[in-house]
Amino acid sequence: MSGALKDKFAIVGVGLLAGRFEDRSFRTLQTEAARLAIEDAGLAVNDVDGAIDLKIAPGAGDVPSPTDAFPRVLGLPCRMFFQVSRGGTASIVGVLAATKFLELGMANYVVLASGTKDYSRSRVARRTGNTSIGVMERAGYWGKPFGDLAAMSHHTFFAARHMHEFGTKKEQFGEISVAIRGWAQSNPLAQFHGRPLTLSEYMDAPPLVWPYNIFDACVVSDGGFAIVLTTAERAKDLARKPVYVSGAGVGEAMGQLWWDKANYTRLAVQTARETAFREAEIGLADLDFAGLYDCFTAEVLFQLEDYGWCKKGEGGAFVEGGRIGPGGEVAINTSGGLLSAYHLGEQTHVAEAIMQLRGEAGERQVANARIGLVTGHGGEILSPGMCSTHACMILSN
Amino acid sequence: MSSSYPKPAIDEDNKPFWDAVRNRKFVLMQCRKCGAWYWPAAYCRNHANQPFYGSLEWREASGRGKVFAYNVHHRAFDPAFKTDLPYVYALIELEEGPMFGTNIVGCDPGDVSIGMDVEIRFIERGGALLPVFGPKG
Ligand SMILES: [Zn+2]
Repeated sequence: MSGALKDKFAIVGVGLLAGRFEDRSFRTLQTEAARLAIEDAGLAVNDVDGAIDLKIAPGAGDVPSPTDAFPRVLGLPCRMFFQVSRGGTASIVGVLAATKFLELGMANYVVLASGTKDYSRSRVARRTGNTSIGVMERAGYWGKPFGDLAAMSHHTFFAARHMHEFGTKKEQFGEISVAIRGWAQSNPLAQFHGRPLTLSEYMDAPPLVWPYNIFDACVVSDGGFAIVLTTAERAKDLARKPVYVSGAGVGEAMGQLWWDKANYTRLAVQTARETAFREAEIGLADLDFAGLYDCFTAEVLFQLEDYGWCKKGEGGAFVEGGRIGPGGEVAINTSGGLLSAYHLGEQTHVAEAIMQLRGEAGERQVANARIGLVTGHGGEILSPGMCSTHACMILSN
Repeated sequence: MSSSYPKPAIDEDNKPFWDAVRNRKFVLMQCRKCGAWYWPAAYCRNHANQPFYGSLEWREASGRGKVFAYNVHHRAFDPAFKTDLPYVYALIELEEGPMFGTNIVGCDPGDVSIGMDVEIRFIERGGALLPVFGPKG
């Protein structure tokens, strides 16, 4: 199947808004991101004939269902529009879907856009004193009466199992948090820009949900993100250096959640990784950087193992000594990630990969960046079911 | 702001489970054809199924298991749980096979460990009876 995707489609424009936007609706943020992406590509709104709504659904739960859509707000003359969700994999699944519309000639340029108001929603929740999932999550959520009230209420099982099976230490999760916070110091958009973290500060923090403290958890953000995708052929004539989709893959563990107990120390990486790397015809050593979905610290550690930077169980030792931070051996989450920069799901990493591959990453620019990996996961199927889906995309310039 | 405990989310699929809990019984779904146990409701994975859950029925389970993973909550994301802090939320690997998410009660959070033998207990919380687990013995 190799060759069906590789470098046949390209991201030609990007729009990014991240931070605090109390006075804007998520739909307006999404629309503005779409406008920015189209402008960035050097296109007019009238050129873009396809649109996909990327539903960001971080741990906070369901996003209110829309009664309006960003293409309507923007006046986009789209021939096709639909929504994609699935935890932190929406943009990757969305890109895959969009390629088919482009291939069939049902669209020439597809804009994929998302918006989120999770920061503002979290402030409102804090004022009421109730920041639990029960306020936002759908009725079917299993764990509420047992106090399973936030993503941390069950994601901690990942860390606890890894510690139990492999002797992974609290400090080693700290190494991940500190390294990614380090990257955030050279990203002016990062929520923790100007606020570095030391390992002793990490170790001194009181537990929130043991084994995690506040530094194991991602930030929440307001913002919007959009990309314009088109064929490689059309990409050549546009304003920006194209960022090619060299490979992509998805994995799903929901068929094994309850009986394959290994799912608590690994993510559904395998089929996603194999599909994407085979398509891109590269190996791990060819990557110049990677953005690994980092809703919590253990997810980063699992992926370092699952993608093969080290063996299963050895992630803790691997991250020691700042190996994934600035100046380290491998450049992981150079934006500061979801842990320290901003939380637009996996799109945090897609945005960063585009900047790196266009040479626009400023102080944190990876020298001669040619190929990058972005990953996403999520889609909690049933509490305390884990994030069962994983997706990845290999981008190159 | 005063607050009450979240109620169990009962739907068509898990109603028999919660009906049993009200009678202090811990039930899981078992396949009549091959004996496999499921929780929550599922079609049997081992063979073709009769319409809906035709070959499965809710049966009382042993109520025994081992702690597979656990955490200790030091923050009440919902103020209703403030007086319960610190509390343990755990994944129990039931003797029958399925995993079950619930609280560990009846011991200090510091005494909980992975692999520990636990058994079913029923506690009243916010007007509902809940299936939780405690140290075996
Ligand atoms: Zn059966």
